[in-house]
Formats: sequence, structure tokens, C-alpha cells
Amino acid sequence: MNTEVYGVIVFKSTHYTIQAENILREKDIGFKTIPTPREISLSCGLAILVTMDDLEIIKDMMYKGEINVLNLYKYIRDGKKNQYEKII
Amino acid sequence: MVIVLIIIILGGITMKIEVDARKEACPRPVIRTKKELESIQDGIVTTIVDNEAAKDNVSKLAISLGYSFIIDKGEEDSEYYIHITKGNVNDMEVKKDIAHDMDQDHNLTIPKLDSTRGLTIAIGSNKMGNGEEELGKILMKSFIYTVRETTPFPNTIVFYNSGVYLTCEGSEVLDDLKGLVEEGVEIISCGACLDYYHLQDKIQVGEVGNMYLIYEKMKNANNTITLG
Repeated sequence: MNTEVYGVIVFKSTHYTIQAENILREKDIGFKTIPTPREISLSCGLAILVTMDDLEIIKDMMYKGEINVLNLYKYIRDGKKNQYEKII
Repeated sequence: MVIVLIIIILGGITMKIEVDARKEACPRPVIRTKKELESIQDGIVTTIVDNEAAKDNVSKLAISLGYSFIIDKGEEDSEYYIHITKGNVNDMEVKKDIAHDMDQDHNLTIPKLDSTRGLTIAIGSNKMGNGEEELGKILMKSFIYTVRETTPFPNTIVFYNSGVYLTCEGSEVLDDLKGLVEEGVEIISCGACLDYYHLQDKIQVGEVGNMYLIYEKMKNANNTITLG
């Protein structure tokens, strides 16, 4: 299995996850809502998975206050083990 | 002496029943085939159907009951003879018998027998749990993602009532469901439900099944998780 890298956005509350879903949909950014990985965990139970490119856009939106994010992670999956690196 | 005689009689006669279900609407072919199979101890029930959906549904009935079957193409387009063997019948005898009736250009297919056990997940709604709709929908997405990411996979996932929205166009979990199909998971959507919600032409993943199939999948699994 090839190594895949994604961005994971975690939120303070489920309401913010739902809000973020709506914003991403409006902006036509592809995403997938997932249970917050156990390795990250210290946040609400629902996280959003995006491509690394789109994570840059989300970072911008976060700084502009358009989206309410708790933390951002880089998610590296190579089939055997999953690795999460905290970005913000 | 008497015992020997009985063995000869039993060995010599194979119960054969023919169900002509051509021109019959779903689910009549399945119901009639099931009734005939229940009426015999051992033997062969041959059901004749005239459309693909009926062929699939009768085949699925045989699979769910754990009986082996052979499909023989009839003379007309979309006409099929489904020979289902129940109980103690010499396999060779059946094949020889059927082969005898067939012309050379008829196809003989022996579908793989399904040994479905394990886990069945039954999803009766496009939302997980009762409460706010937006939360229910997001939880369902998250649940299906988790199923996709966790091994071993379930054998079957059945969708009914508004659950069928998840297997149709516009669903946000199609990728996960398609991935599960690639892993060998069987996805079944309730036909009556697709019909009710006018989604017959919108289905994107898995197959369509009826209540018999849904119940068989739940009943035959070692474990069934129901959520909605």
C-alpha cells in the first residue's frame, strides 16, 4: 500500500464540525467527515479529512476567522500504521 | 431385504418439481419456489422465469437457504431455468439430468455457493439515532467510514426505509460503500423502499433485494447490528 497523506481538522464541538462542513460545501472543497482518530482524540468526536492542498486553504480561512478550528493535523497512512503530526 | 428395497426405491427416485413463474410479478416467483422447496425433503425444484430480476431473486433465495443451484438459459431472451437442489441428491445425477435437456449453445453456470455467516449490519435510516437531523446524518457518515476502516469487514450491509438514500446518487458515503464492495462486502438495498422514495434509477452501489433476502441475511448472520 502506498503512503497517503491527508489533513485532519478537529473541532471544539460537533456544532463547529457541522458548520465547517457547510462552509467547505459552499466553497466546493472536497472533504470526508470521520470519527476523530483515537490518537488525536482530545476534541469533539467528529473530524474532517481533506487533501493537504486544501488544508492550506483551510489554514487561511482559519486565520481570517472564517472557520472555527481547534487543531490541524497531518495524517500519514501507509497501511500498517497511522501517524498524526500536529500542525497547529 | 426390506431395507435394501427401500434404499433402491429412495436411490432411484429424485423428487422433481417444476415452477413455471413466467409472466409472474415479483415476489411471486420467489414465494412459489420457497413453498415448493419447503414441501420436499430432498429433490430438485426447477423454477422458470422470464426476466433477469426474477432470476437474481430466485438465485438469492437458493443462496440464502444454502442450496446449490444451476442456471440454464431458456430459448427465449431473458428466460431462465433455475434448478435448485435440496438435501440428499446425487450431484452428478442432477447435472447429467440437466445437461441431457440442454442444447449445446445453452449456457450452464454453476454460481459460487455463498457461505454467508459472520456479521450483518442493518441500516434503517439515513440518520444514526433519534434527534436532530443534521447530527444524525453526520453520525451515519462517520459510522460508515468506521466500518470501511475496520477489519474484519461485515459480510452484508442491508439498507431499508430512508437508509436506501445512502446507496443512491447524492449520498456522501458512496466511496466507502464502493470500497466495501471491493472488499467483498454485500450491499443490499430494499426494493420496495427504493420504489417508495422514487430512487429506483438512482442506486449507485450494491444490489436490490426484497424482504425475504433482508430477513435471511439478518437471520443467518452470527451477529446482526441494527441501527437507524
